[in-house]
Amino acid sequence: MTTYALFLGCTIPARQPHYELSARKALTKLGIELVDLDHMTCCAPPPLQSIDLETSLAIAAHNICIAEEADLNIVTLCTGCFESLAMANAILKENEKLRMRVNKILSSVGKEFKGNKEVRHYLQVLMNDVGLKQLEKSVVKKLNKLKVASFSGCHLLRPSALLKFDDPERPKIFDNLIEALGAKSIWYRNKLKCCGGLLRGYADDVALAIAKDKIVNATKAGADCISTLCPFCFLTLDLGQMLIKSTFKEEYNMPIIHYSELLSLSLGIEPKELALDFHKVKVDSVLNKIA
Amino acid sequence: MKMDKIKIGVFLSDCGNQLSQILDFDAIINYVKKVPDVALVARANEFWRGEGLKNIVEAVKGKKVNRIVVAETIPKLGEINILEAVEKAGLNPYLAEIIDLKDHCAWPHKDSPKEATEKAKAMLLAAIERAKLLESIEKLEFPATKSVLVIGGGIAGMQAAEDLAEMGFEVHLVEKEPFLGGLAARAGRFFPTDDCAICIQSPASDVKTVTHTSRKCVYRSGFTEIPNLNVLTNSKVLKVEGVPGNYKVTIEKKPRYVNEEKCVACDLCTTVCPVEVPDAYNANLKKRKAIYINTPLVYPPVYAIDANACKFADCAKCVEVCPTKAIELNQKSKRLTLNVGSIIVATGFKEYDPSVIKEYHYGEYPDVITQLELARMIDAFGPTNGTIIKPSDGKPAKRIVFIQCVGSRDRRWNPWCSSICCMISLKHATLIKSAYPDTDVTICYIDIRTTGREHEYYYERAREMGIKFVKGRPTEILHDPEANVLVVDVEDELLRRFLEIEADLVVLAPSMVPADGTKELAEILGLELDEDGFFKEYNAKLRPTETKKRGIFLCGGATFPKDAPTTSLQAHSAAMKAAKFLNMGKIVKDQRTAAVNEEYCGDCEFCPVTCPYGAITLTPKNDGHFVAKISDLLCEGCGVCVGTCPVNAIELRHFKQNQMLAQMKALLSINGTSKPLVLAISCSECGNAAVDSSGMAMMRYPANVRTMKVPCTGILQVQQILEAFKAGAQGVMVVGCKTDGCHYEVGSQIAQRKVELAKMLLKEYGIEPERLEMFNMVYIEGDRFAEAAKMMTERVEKLGPIKIT
Amino acid sequence: MAQEKASPRNFSKEITSRLGGETITFCYQCGTCASSCPVAKITEKFNPREVIRLALLGMRDEVLSGDAIWLCSSCYNCQERCPQKVEIADVIYALRNIAIREGHIPNIYSEFAAGLMSEGRIVPISKFLEKKRPEYGLPPLKPAGVDAIRKILSATGFDKIQFKKGETP
Repeated sequence: MTTYALFLGCTIPARQPHYELSARKALTKLGIELVDLDHMTCCAPPPLQSIDLETSLAIAAHNICIAEEADLNIVTLCTGCFESLAMANAILKENEKLRMRVNKILSSVGKEFKGNKEVRHYLQVLMNDVGLKQLEKSVVKKLNKLKVASFSGCHLLRPSALLKFDDPERPKIFDNLIEALGAKSIWYRNKLKCCGGLLRGYADDVALAIAKDKIVNATKAGADCISTLCPFCFLTLDLGQMLIKSTFKEEYNMPIIHYSELLSLSLGIEPKELALDFHKVKVDSVLNKIA
Repeated sequence: MKMDKIKIGVFLSDCGNQLSQILDFDAIINYVKKVPDVALVARANEFWRGEGLKNIVEAVKGKKVNRIVVAETIPKLGEINILEAVEKAGLNPYLAEIIDLKDHCAWPHKDSPKEATEKAKAMLLAAIERAKLLESIEKLEFPATKSVLVIGGGIAGMQAAEDLAEMGFEVHLVEKEPFLGGLAARAGRFFPTDDCAICIQSPASDVKTVTHTSRKCVYRSGFTEIPNLNVLTNSKVLKVEGVPGNYKVTIEKKPRYVNEEKCVACDLCTTVCPVEVPDAYNANLKKRKAIYINTPLVYPPVYAIDANACKFADCAKCVEVCPTKAIELNQKSKRLTLNVGSIIVATGFKEYDPSVIKEYHYGEYPDVITQLELARMIDAFGPTNGTIIKPSDGKPAKRIVFIQCVGSRDRRWNPWCSSICCMISLKHATLIKSAYPDTDVTICYIDIRTTGREHEYYYERAREMGIKFVKGRPTEILHDPEANVLVVDVEDELLRRFLEIEADLVVLAPSMVPADGTKELAEILGLELDEDGFFKEYNAKLRPTETKKRGIFLCGGATFPKDAPTTSLQAHSAAMKAAKFLNMGKIVKDQRTAAVNEEYCGDCEFCPVTCPYGAITLTPKNDGHFVAKISDLLCEGCGVCVGTCPVNAIELRHFKQNQMLAQMKALLSINGTSKPLVLAISCSECGNAAVDSSGMAMMRYPANVRTMKVPCTGILQVQQILEAFKAGAQGVMVVGCKTDGCHYEVGSQIAQRKVELAKMLLKEYGIEPERLEMFNMVYIEGDRFAEAAKMMTERVEKLGPIKIT
Repeated sequence: MAQEKASPRNFSKEITSRLGGETITFCYQCGTCASSCPVAKITEKFNPREVIRLALLGMRDEVLSGDAIWLCSSCYNCQERCPQKVEIADVIYALRNIAIREGHIPNIYSEFAAGLMSEGRIVPISKFLEKKRPEYGLPPLKPAGVDAIRKILSATGFDKIQFKKGETP
């Protein structure tokens, strides 16, 4: 039984319980035990880093300390949380001066960053702890050549020097995991480009234009859906299509679906157990294709 | 051995009676006369030439003196003349001590002539005491084979080999490929003249006209026919043993499978060969047979078989067909041993493989190519007969985009600028535009670097031809599969606009990196590589094309990417230096080297590590221990090993510790000033130069500062520094070269550590550690020496006399 | 790291002495970052190369009070591709850090800071949604470490930043 401390972050419990639901169900079915620890906080993503980098490092480190004290590695669902925590972990493990500086701040809450635990994204858990072969074996309902436009978002891959998740120019892991479910991961223009999500709230028009570009490219390539890992990407592309409709008068009906939801479906979990109502763009077309 | 009675001659130059205006020469002469073992004291205008020199020579010839001390100015010139003259007269030149009373005494202390005079007495006493302990040093001769190994058959290697072979040396030119020519053979033309790349000077041995000896294609230059030139293709250096002047080199010659004496280059073999493989020489743009020759031909005019492609006995069609029975499929690798006196490394550079820069898709999109691949296309002999085509479908390429700095100036890959790529792109762009004026050519750059002679006019011409320049480094090359066209995604910084430039062909200007096998060869030869991985020159300004290993030289792209004119220069330079080295057929040097007292050597194995010249080896004794042995040929006489040895087992023949101690004591035996004595120990290179120049520039510092010279500050042991204090110094200055510029590599760094250790010990003894200080300065910092001398004097005065509790 | 005093003349030094800004002076204005940037391709208001240029030229006021630094979407594409290994996204964070301390704060960031200080999360969780969790079969949410956050914010001086209503685009 592989056990991880589950790190939820802010956005998923606040806005996307369907992501948490599908992830818990799928991972548990595959034999991963997820432990919820007390007193985790915000991971300190870009919005906080923009206010103060030092505070953000300390907050991220604080979260890692809680896991260190429970002697557990961390698994995240949100790729933003992954980047924030994994980057902090890598930086503090390597940079002694910075580590001392952060530990001084952490001493005010009685914690010390030791650097003896890992921060992983659930895709890494699937690759390394479950394995592609085991995953393929566990698939009960092959996703019948569903054409998936995979979109890992920026923060799973970059900055690659610190995250070391996959080849940043030729990533394969996410696509391999999609194909392990029987679906087809298709090429589409600007696959690795940002969704613009972090600009929402400051420059909505720019954010929308960037998101629209993504939807259009996936549509042109003939995708049945876009599969996401980041709740911000999901929001930008799912809710974003409502805004695209009202702003540009264009309707694309491109279902946006988290990988954990595809995973859950392929493992045989019933759609009605997955709170799919939270999707603004209905996913019926996907469900029909894989029935 | 019976010791002759020591008779020291002291010769004092008064510089046309000028020095005597400051120093009281009568008092000095009276003093010196009374020093024991002084047989003769003389005074004249100058002693390093003319009447004065004759006097010295007569005194030597007449056996009136068997040691000499000369107080002369003009340090180096004077010394050379005097020592040459006395050697001719029969006195070993190492039995002479030359000091400078002007720059080290009279001039800096002009304002206090009485103190200067006392100091002069101390300086002479020190010289005399040292002279008493000097020993003769003999000349050694080492054999030097007048034969040179040149590694690398590109234009650098070929030119160097030709120069040396013409001068009469036996030259072995070793090339790892089956054909000579290197990069030049594939490059086509060279900038800024756009003439053939594969062109060198021809031999001058039978000078008919200037044209006869100037540029000639290699195949008709005749250089390969010089009788004492031995060209070994398909060959690599496996091992090098021996010493400079006498290297034993093991070469492995791989089989060509074609007999060089019989092949007539008729080409019949290729017509029957059934095997076709991609032609790497021609950028894989076409195929070649397993048996082949390159075009344009350089040398030798003999076909070669690719052992990886050939089917050998399973086929052998070429053997049947060859009219002269030249093909020998059972040839084996051969090992040869060469005996050479000197080695020249001319292994060149190669293009970096840009496939790691994944955003440019080299290796994935066939229409993304490198400069060398384009050069093959432009070459009329090349795989496309001079047409520029898209490798993906063979259609003509009408829109070409160059991308500069691919892998160069890139801290992720190769941080250096490869120096020639801007000109290469301009060359290719202008050649293409000339031949096909309707081609659209754009060059994307960060900077355009056209620094050489006539290079800027080349750039002008490119602009006149309508070649476009975009200042911006593309982020990615995209591919539109429907139209089969490449799209270059770049910001035109000057327009402040994003461009998506469509291209049929994208040419990457990759970084230039050291040739394959550089690391291995460096290990075999014991050569250093610089931080970018190229062979390191000893000093690019002052000793270009030389290495730290005497007898091994470098030239061409092996030290850094460079253009043809510079390569040519370096080739001639390396050849000249190798010739100078071996010219006499022997290496003559004085035995001013270090020697190990084998009884004391404790096998600690520190000295071989610190010797900057690799002159110390450990030889096994009977009892399983090792003892250090120093090679007279390789030793440079710096004394770093002397300073390193923890048991004082090593001595320099020309600078012994007892001599140094005697000098110190004498220098500090007379004060004559009201200030405490400070001893400045300077190295014989930069340190002493700074002392010289402070005097030559008439900077003032007080006369209580006494200077003495050691070969290198690295020779200092901690106990010698402490001896200085025991001998009466209230302060000690150690003056050496800058730590990153020590003339003996590591000396001043080692001295720094000794000084720090000595300071700790002084503290233990209750002596203030700030009485001892290390200074690093160069010749043009003479003012810093004067300042330092004044500063130490003031410091020591404030501290008062040493009180040992 | 001792931080440099603020003045246009040594703006580079001010940036390099800050966490995140250490590499800005490596930039040789090649423009790779600009063409890698998804935002720059859509709007003229932001160009990472230009932001760095302005900073290196010492145009402190223009950089800190302007729109541009807030338009970076933190995708890190530029940092990935930069041939001089300039940590462009991190430099922009550093510039934002300075700007905020001088009172240039877009509204949304004030909201994030408020959420953090009151609940330990930048996106507060509605009580409604929290109550619905068992309905979906989700375990109850563990309490957030609000106390720890507050202490950390105090230790770094974050809580002293004036999150007044800032400029909007």
